[in-house]
Amino acid sequence: MPTDSEGRRRIVYCVGEEHALRDILPEAEAAALLSAASRAGLRGVRVVDPGGKALWGSGDDVPPPGEGDPRRPILLEGEAAGSVVLPAGAAGGETQDALLALLADALTAMAHNNLKRMLVTETHTEVVNRSYEELLETNRSLSASEQRYRELAGTLEIKVRERTEELSRAMARLVQQEKMASVGQLAAGVAHEINNPLAFVTSNLRTLKKYTERFLDIIARYQRVFEQGGVAQQDRDDLRKHRVSLRLDAISEDAGDLLRQTLEGTERVRKIVSDLKGFSHVDEEGEAPADMNREIDRTLSVMRHEIPAGVGIVREFSPLPVIPCRPGAFNQLFLGLVRNALQARQEGLRLTLRTGVSGDRIRIAFADNGPGVPADLRTRIFEPFFTTRDVGKGKGLGLTVAYDIVTAHGGTIEVEDTPGGGATFVLQLPIRRGSHDQIR
Amino acid sequence: MIEYDSEDQRMILKFVYYGPALSGKTTNLLRLHDLLAKEGRGDLMVLDTKDDRTIFFDLLPFFLVAPSGLKIKVKVYTVPGQVQHDATRKAVLQRADGVAFIADSRRSEAKNNAESFGNLERNLSIVGIGIDKLPLVLQYNKRDLPDILPEEEIRRTWGATGFPVVLSSALEGWGVVETFRALAERAYDALDRRYDFTGTHGLTRGSFSERLVRRAG
Repeated sequence: MPTDSEGRRRIVYCVGEEHALRDILPEAEAAALLSAASRAGLRGVRVVDPGGKALWGSGDDVPPPGEGDPRRPILLEGEAAGSVVLPAGAAGGETQDALLALLADALTAMAHNNLKRMLVTETHTEVVNRSYEELLETNRSLSASEQRYRELAGTLEIKVRERTEELSRAMARLVQQEKMASVGQLAAGVAHEINNPLAFVTSNLRTLKKYTERFLDIIARYQRVFEQGGVAQQDRDDLRKHRVSLRLDAISEDAGDLLRQTLEGTERVRKIVSDLKGFSHVDEEGEAPADMNREIDRTLSVMRHEIPAGVGIVREFSPLPVIPCRPGAFNQLFLGLVRNALQARQEGLRLTLRTGVSGDRIRIAFADNGPGVPADLRTRIFEPFFTTRDVGKGKGLGLTVAYDIVTAHGGTIEVEDTPGGGATFVLQLPIRRGSHDQIR
Repeated sequence: MIEYDSEDQRMILKFVYYGPALSGKTTNLLRLHDLLAKEGRGDLMVLDTKDDRTIFFDLLPFFLVAPSGLKIKVKVYTVPGQVQHDATRKAVLQRADGVAFIADSRRSEAKNNAESFGNLERNLSIVGIGIDKLPLVLQYNKRDLPDILPEEEIRRTWGATGFPVVLSSALEGWGVVETFRALAERAYDALDRRYDFTGTHGLTRGSFSERLVRRAG
């Protein structure tokens, strides 16, 4: 027995089953013809099956048909499925023969048409049933998958929420890491810068310590001589000899230089620390009034050591109104923009920092003469994790951090072409902000 | 096989003309009806069509009697080629003793031929017939048309399968009888193995083919 793809047994309707004349031709349909034929002169005409058994007849008062009786076949699918038979001894003649042939042809045509109708009906029913079964099957599987999707949809929302929270936490961590990395790079440079003066301050102090020991030594001798009462010639000679042996004249002169240098060194360290504090605004909580020109200078001063010789930084500042903001955040932004320019071009970099007021906004432009940013990437470069650098060389968060700082302030940041080639990052910051622009 | 009654000495066989829509299946039967002798066959029964396309099937019955007295009736059917009539194709294919696959020789129809042949394989497996055991004959029809696959290419494609390939133009009336004969002979081989036509019924391959495929006039 045939089975379908899932192994279910399935009965398939088979075209071609044989049919007996009795199944094709109902007696009621044949009877009318037979009785008409009988009235027309075929008295006693009957229909017999291929085995000679009488099926239907026009009257009861005639003998059963026998072999050799006048007969004509009724054809079904080209085969004799039965015959019309006249009783033995029935009157012969042309009219009889013609009538018998006419009757057989009529019954053949009737059977043929009935068979066609039956086959069409059977096939049609099979197709309808099969389609219905397939629809039921489809309906079953659709219901099952609908149920699955319903369940999925129920949990999906929760899953999406969880995953979104996870992602925003991870993103926040990465942004924080990016900020720390930028500060870390700065710290490394600053440490190097502090190390230099610190080294010679330490070395000077060591020398001064030795000098101090000698001074104390000679002072002790003077003290002994004075306590013994009187300064004999020999004592004076001894003291002079000792002073010479200690090279006190030379070191007295040197001590002054050392002290001056040492003070210069500590001043340099103080200045660096002060720059750093100014840059980071570490003592300020939240917003503070700031002059952006001054903040840019602060950034440049902490970056001094990062900027190689040969890089031209041009300041074209116009006086700016003081605006309340988080200056530490902006300094970080400026730092990032200067560093981007430094990475964009190694040799012959010229970075012009231009500030000014345009309407009710402060406009700050950092224009470099590097390779520039292709037009199709201009909005994408601010997207998180977008980077044109090699894998491992950049996380693609630097400009995202910049974008967040500026938009939190109610401002905009965009990139344009520098006339003559290069990229210009333009910040526009509102001088006065509405209450809805509170800094995050 | 539709029916075998050994007491009644009666056997009903089924041949099916399969293939893509409009490849000439009904035309094949019309030509067989015209070309083969009236004595050995019945009339062509064409069930309702729509716009002259087969939607059910056509039937052409043939008759022969073996020397043993076994009466054999061979019912030759076409299937509707259009994709949507798949349920009808399965019903016609059920218990088939042989299949003639009528392909359209035009290059543009290659994809339809392949899809229809895939459909035949799938339906054979659904109705429980193994394609490797089924007597199958291929006919590349419409050889009278331009832009057709060259014979060499057809032979190369099907050579390895061992299925007989007949080229034809049913419209012009050639290749049709050859296809039917090839199918009859393949079917005979399968039936002889199972029912011992030669021994029990005195029916050789040649006489089976001769009695079934008798040219008119």
